[in-house]
Amino acid sequence: MPLRNQQDVKEVESILNEILNTHNPPVGRCRLLSSGFSPSHALNIVEDISGHKECLSCGNCIDICPFLFREPARREKTEQRTSMALESIVGEDCDQCGACILVCPQVDTTIKNYVVNRRMVEVMSRLEQRIGDEDEPDLDLFLEEVANTA
Amino acid sequence: MDFEIPEELKMMQSLVRDFVNDQLKPLERDILGRAADLSDTQMFLPEETEEKIVEMAQEVGLWGAGAPEELGGAGLGTLGSCLIEEELAQTIIPFNFGDVTPILFDCNTEQRENYFLPVLNRQKCAYLALIEPGKEAELATMETRAEKINEHYVLNGKKVSFSRAGNNYFAVVFATTEKGDRDKVTCFLVDKDTPGFSVSGGEERKGWQAQVRQPTTLAFDHCQIPLENILGEEGKAFHLGKRWLPSRRVIRGARCVGVAQRLLEEATTQAQSWQSFGQFISQRTSIEAALADIATFIHACRLMVYEAAWKADKGEPIRHEAAMVKLFATQMIHTVSDRVAHIYNGPPYISGLPMERLCRSVLAASATELTLELQRSIIAKDILKGVKV
Repeated sequence: MPLRNQQDVKEVESILNEILNTHNPPVGRCRLLSSGFSPSHALNIVEDISGHKECLSCGNCIDICPFLFREPARREKTEQRTSMALESIVGEDCDQCGACILVCPQVDTTIKNYVVNRRMVEVMSRLEQRIGDEDEPDLDLFLEEVANTA
Repeated sequence: MDFEIPEELKMMQSLVRDFVNDQLKPLERDILGRAADLSDTQMFLPEETEEKIVEMAQEVGLWGAGAPEELGGAGLGTLGSCLIEEELAQTIIPFNFGDVTPILFDCNTEQRENYFLPVLNRQKCAYLALIEPGKEAELATMETRAEKINEHYVLNGKKVSFSRAGNNYFAVVFATTEKGDRDKVTCFLVDKDTPGFSVSGGEERKGWQAQVRQPTTLAFDHCQIPLENILGEEGKAFHLGKRWLPSRRVIRGARCVGVAQRLLEEATTQAQSWQSFGQFISQRTSIEAALADIATFIHACRLMVYEAAWKADKGEPIRHEAAMVKLFATQMIHTVSDRVAHIYNGPPYISGLPMERLCRSVLAASATELTLELQRSIIAKDILKGVKV
């Protein structure tokens, strides 16, 4: 849960865009751009952990990833549920849907708002197209194949 | 941005070009016929000539160029296949380097030995049985039925196949396992000697009839098909060859480019050798304009084909690009054959010329307005969805 004073997106916009354009799960790097753990959610322990940016290993990002839904076999490669694990099992096959950013408790709301407002609209049509490609076979291709084979 | 074709593909392209020029083009007269009334026109080359060419193609390592490596082919990408197709299209000889339909690429190991490899090595012909007599493009209401009884399927119905006929064959049959539901179409491999399977028509024609493609009628009367002869998954026939079929559309675009290129060459020769009113017709502005139009169309279409092929090789989805290629290539070949007719001063159907055969086959293969409308709707849907063009 991030601090009250969250990262101003304007300051990190260019690097954030760079991250979001890369074919790799962006959640880990978005977490590092965020403000870190807020003290109000910490247990009452001696060590002050406010502002720490580590992954909490909650596994939300692994559970939400649509790519791992399609290829569940990859989940079995590791027991870990960190963003690091997500990056290693998904890697460049990332759909860049941004879902992992939205579910991560360590990412600032400002960054999440930016992703929803600026990035998701652009990504949606591409994802939709991809889904369309996979689900609906183009019968016309078969007709052409039949008509054109010597 | 790099418009350079990779070096190894360039070498292969020149190899195919030499092969077409030296081996195939000299045989064109055999196909077109030498007699004045064209009574010796043929559809295909004589068996022994074809054997010889195939051997030659195998020696230079061009055989099976388009088939994936894991199935025993050369595994050329889409761009490579486009370059080959473009060269092969420049002759009217019906010849390919072991072109097997991607529907068969999804064979399992056992089917690969019994069906795919024999087709690749020309020992067997595959009859693609998808269309039913009387309902050409209507795939959703398929009437050929397959019923599961005990440990096999019983197949009933009639199909029409346009595949090349041969003595040793098998059929690739699409049949519904649940009526009226296209998701429940299953693909079966039916052997030649299956009881109840009969074939009629498809004889090779001679003379002027050689240009009319005679379809084969396949009839299935209580054919018992064992479960291991199901191609791909049960009820998922239209998911077969998913990885390869979209790029076939681009490869057919390359075929249009090749044909147009040959038509341009023929038209140029005609324009430089034919005289009217005391001067070569190539000096007339209308003929120059026609040549320039053709060349521009070919160039535009070639760039489209190469770009789509390059995208396909990168693994990107090319549905949109393939639709555009098909739309443009079909229109391009129509316009080009029309402009060539202007240069020849007559309709493109002058029997006995390569030009006639080229126009006829390419128009027949692509002149289906319905499918063009479908391509347009694919492109338009993407635009409306917000995909950047």
